[in-house]
Amino acid sequence: MYLTRRDFIKIAAVTGGAVVAGSPVVNSVLALGKKPISLPQYVPTTCEMCFWRCGLIAKVVDGKVVKLNGNPIHPNSRGKLCARGHGGIGLLYDPDRLKNPLINTGARGEANFKKASWDEALGFVAEKMQKIKEKYGAESIALLTHGTISTYFMHLLHAFGSPNFAMPSFALCRGARGVAFEVTFGEDVGNPERLDLQNSKVIVLIGTHLGENAHNSQCQEFAEAVGKGATVIVLDPRFSTAAGKAKYWLPIKPATDLAILLAWINVIINEGLYDKEYVTKYTTGFNEVAQAVKEYTPEWAEKETDIPANLILETARILGKNKPHVLIHPGRHTSWYSDNVQRQRAVAILTAILGAYGRPGGIYLSPKKKFEPVFLSEKDYPDTKPELNKGKYPFAGEEGVTHAIVRATLTDEPYPIKGWFVTGTNILKAMPNQRDTLNAVKKLDLLVAVDMMPYDGVMLADVVLPECTYLERHDDFFTVKERSFGISIRQPVIQPMYDTKPGWWIAKELGKRLGLEEHFPWDTFEEFLKNKAEAWGIDYGELTKKGYIDFPESAKPYFAEGEDYKFKTPSGKIELYSKELKEKGFDPVPKYTKHAQPPEGWFRLIYGRAPVHTFSRTTNNPSLWELMEENVAWINAKEAKRMGLKNGDYIVLVNQDGVRSNKIRAKVTERIRPDCIYLVHGFGSTSKLLRRAYLRGADDQQLITKYDIDPISGTVGMRVNFVKITKEV
Amino acid sequence: MPKYVMVIDVEKCIGCMACVIACKKENNVPDQHYRTRVVEEVRGQFPHLRMELRSELCNHCENAPCIDACPTRASHRAKDGTVQIDRKKCIGCKACILACPYDARYSHPKGFADKCTFCDHRIKEGIKPACVETCLGKSRIFGDLEDPKSEVSELLRKYDASVRLEFAGTRPRVFYIKKKFAGGL
Amino acid sequence: MTEITITGLNAITHPYLEVWDWRIVIYLFLGGLSAGMLVMCSIANLRIPKQPVDELAQCVRAPIIAFITLAIGAQFIILDLGKPQSLIWGYLTFQPLSLMSWGTWGVPAVLFANALYILAVIPKDQRYRLKVPFLVNLSEKLSSKMRPIAKLNFALGIFLGIYTGVLLSSFSSIPLWNNATLPILFLVSALSSGAAMIVIIAKKAEIKFLFTKIDIWLIVAELLIIALFFYGLYTSTAPYKKAIEPFFSFTNEQFIFAVALIAIFLLLPLAMRLKLGELKEFKGGFHGEFTKSQIFRMNFAALLVLAGTFILRAAIVYAGQLTKLSPY
Repeated sequence: MYLTRRDFIKIAAVTGGAVVAGSPVVNSVLALGKKPISLPQYVPTTCEMCFWRCGLIAKVVDGKVVKLNGNPIHPNSRGKLCARGHGGIGLLYDPDRLKNPLINTGARGEANFKKASWDEALGFVAEKMQKIKEKYGAESIALLTHGTISTYFMHLLHAFGSPNFAMPSFALCRGARGVAFEVTFGEDVGNPERLDLQNSKVIVLIGTHLGENAHNSQCQEFAEAVGKGATVIVLDPRFSTAAGKAKYWLPIKPATDLAILLAWINVIINEGLYDKEYVTKYTTGFNEVAQAVKEYTPEWAEKETDIPANLILETARILGKNKPHVLIHPGRHTSWYSDNVQRQRAVAILTAILGAYGRPGGIYLSPKKKFEPVFLSEKDYPDTKPELNKGKYPFAGEEGVTHAIVRATLTDEPYPIKGWFVTGTNILKAMPNQRDTLNAVKKLDLLVAVDMMPYDGVMLADVVLPECTYLERHDDFFTVKERSFGISIRQPVIQPMYDTKPGWWIAKELGKRLGLEEHFPWDTFEEFLKNKAEAWGIDYGELTKKGYIDFPESAKPYFAEGEDYKFKTPSGKIELYSKELKEKGFDPVPKYTKHAQPPEGWFRLIYGRAPVHTFSRTTNNPSLWELMEENVAWINAKEAKRMGLKNGDYIVLVNQDGVRSNKIRAKVTERIRPDCIYLVHGFGSTSKLLRRAYLRGADDQQLITKYDIDPISGTVGMRVNFVKITKEV
Repeated sequence: MPKYVMVIDVEKCIGCMACVIACKKENNVPDQHYRTRVVEEVRGQFPHLRMELRSELCNHCENAPCIDACPTRASHRAKDGTVQIDRKKCIGCKACILACPYDARYSHPKGFADKCTFCDHRIKEGIKPACVETCLGKSRIFGDLEDPKSEVSELLRKYDASVRLEFAGTRPRVFYIKKKFAGGL
Repeated sequence: MTEITITGLNAITHPYLEVWDWRIVIYLFLGGLSAGMLVMCSIANLRIPKQPVDELAQCVRAPIIAFITLAIGAQFIILDLGKPQSLIWGYLTFQPLSLMSWGTWGVPAVLFANALYILAVIPKDQRYRLKVPFLVNLSEKLSSKMRPIAKLNFALGIFLGIYTGVLLSSFSSIPLWNNATLPILFLVSALSSGAAMIVIIAKKAEIKFLFTKIDIWLIVAELLIIALFFYGLYTSTAPYKKAIEPFFSFTNEQFIFAVALIAIFLLLPLAMRLKLGELKEFKGGFHGEFTKSQIFRMNFAALLVLAGTFILRAAIVYAGQLTKLSPY
């Protein structure tokens, strides 16, 4: 019989575990004269090595974090952490961390930093902000942000008078999926996605490389499904880890995914394999879809996708036969081409006609619980000019569109943007077309970066404000919408190291200097959290000890037999045919769009994740760097042979605009189609202060100078760049 | 005496590397050294490929060449049947590192030989080894083979298991089960 | 095509082992050399059965040099130890299956016997050099026991020579080393190097000539055993066959091993040829003194043998760690 971690938490709680204080010390009689042995303390908190936000329990000995473990009661971690989660210690103790506020004394972007006190740095920023406000209006300060720090800086800027913020997570990542699912089902598929993987009989992964993207609980469920014998179908030009688990790896020609999705819908409808009852009860527009997909036969799709028609037919039948326990993974990073939303719509439609939404093995329903929002302050925000952060895209999400901010900064339209706050995101690595970004940065009067590490984007800033890591601070409660609803806490495991401060403190102190004290009516964030907990009727003390409070009664993952359900769409049904899209002038049912393919001698640049890194944010983390120091360029073995390339040779990639990458090793492999080159995203840092990551590997984003924009959502298409290989001499 | 074994369900390993780093942190393994690793083996030609992912670690062999090679009994069989190193006794001759056919050992910067302990400090507390606890795919399963009801016993009854380099005659206690042919198109 | 990617590699074990380096090479070389010298000088000293004791010890300096050689050699293995301060634990136990344990006990034992040997063979008129009265007395007592002590040192020399090879051959995980030919090969090459060393240090022309003759046979045996060593591995299973590849390929990065093998097969026969030349000159037996050029040639041939022995040991120690029993 094993003690579970849960028992350990109990023990830890009894010994006063969840308190940040000196460790209790055991003075053994026998150990007289020896160094006393410190008992480890276990402090639960929430991870921020990626966006999955797993519950973790930190083991602290003598004020030093020695190990991070998954919190067993947290549904995102289930007692386990991924490599990056464990590597959080590496971030905490990375000697390259930002340690003091810095002010750039050179020209913009020169990174000629001098150390400054917080008072000096914040005073400098406040003064510049006031100047911009006087000259152009408060709206001319924009915020590019990602992660939990967004809460405070969005609040600060709103209080200051600017509605212009944008998160890369929308336009550059999962925005298109969100829009497609909102249009179809009335709500996004959630973050983490509400996927009932563990009960799936068939799992379709479209470019999603589970395992390489180590989304903790999702990977756990994927492995479980594989172990139970689920049929995995992987559409990917690359033989990913997930493809290695698949019965069907379909090495599809990039940019043609929609063709196979439409062909599947075609076969499933033609052969009557769809869930007729479900379609009748819950959906609208089936006939229009059936009509629209008629032309998309497997034979037609074969020509587009390079996947034999018989395999398309076979896989469609497998999907049909196993309905509704099938999962068409909606993906996360869906910013691929100009028709992102339509492609994701096809995923949604396929899910719907197979009856897989709200059914075991498909997409489960949101938990039935909601807390009333508790705002950082009750004071209203000032009125502002109309926001420009959504561009001209009718379905752009609340998170804003990053390139709309860049565009406005470059063109002064509809009004100028003169100040940027960049918090928790590396603008050079996250956003396509670095030249645009750098030109926009040149036009600014103020660029402030708040981050933990001197990332490439941080190096452009006038003022750098060092945030402490997630292990050293409080953050807002996380509402977790897994199968059931729950609340997760982030609390400091140790006190902030160096002269770093929590995000909330930085925003509050800056607010003070801007005369916005009233918007921060609490002394510490913990005070706010306690009030919030009280307002929500949850026991704050229990939360600090357990790290997570679950509301099991909120779980209602599946439709009951014949249950009536009102979707949050205009029709109250699943909209296979979207009137909304039609009204705004878009195709109500997805139509196939042909995208350009690389000319002879060129490769399409595709990119993805590695299990041990999160974007460009971990490449300098000593614990993770050790496992993957640099990325490699995957090249088809036959192509490599033709070019005389050997595995491990250094090459340089040159894109269609003549941009040259940093040198990178070639991975000569059978695992990729001959028409593409694959890179793991986030490498090739240009920040000299990242001593491990500096110029290690090549930066995919540098080569993405061209990008498409999906007119529906404003999400970008970043897989439209072609590269050539030159040998490094 | 318990017989601790690890069963590795090759099919459920998704190559997330959590075990590799969890082990390093749990056991304070020095930089550039590892007590466990993940091997990814891909065979075939595009597009007809198969992949196997498996984690490897000290096999805690019943017939351990490292114990034979040790001049000071630093490498020894512990009471719980696992192969352990007494750091105090180790002179750092590295014979055990050479003797291990599985490359499971390394030379610690402090001079002694080091390797996976099956997290014996955790076993004693009644919790699983760090790599097992954090294995996202539940590919690593740990338990006592003497207990017929343990998960490892059940798995080894149910599935055909193999060990690495069986012909080396070391009788490893880390077993690999492959339920089906993992493969591509 | 198999693509293997491993995450979590130990630098010293992948892609090949980098565990034992030049320190072990020197240890094995000097250990072997010492062993060979002990055996050879014992042969010299036991060769003529009845002679007055003082005349008997024909080889006087060899035991001293053997002692110094082994003592220096042992420093190199201590230099290789990660934690020499724990060495005491080696003397609190004896592990019969651990060759390191044999070495821990064996090397001091050989040194001890060797020390006795030094005292036993030291000529009367040289004893004053020992300075310490106790040693002078001991030397006097031991001189009558010279023959049994020489026999003991002969046996221990054989033991030490074999030990240097068995130490390597005991590792089942290293195919190149893991065979029974290796200890014999190391013994023979140790004896050969011992003979060569004595040729170099001997003052008496007669001794030089004797060991030049003996060494020819040892070289023949050594070359034969090297050939058998490779043949045995070639006809074995895959990892063993793979283990000798570095010696027979110029295309891979390890062509240095092919060079080493060629060097061995040039140096040793060349040494043999030179030695044969000497023999020819004295076909009718040897009387009197050598000319300077004869001494030079003999010493040169001996140096070639020493170089060959060193290269052999270095090549086998390093090449062994390139190929492991496991496929990666």
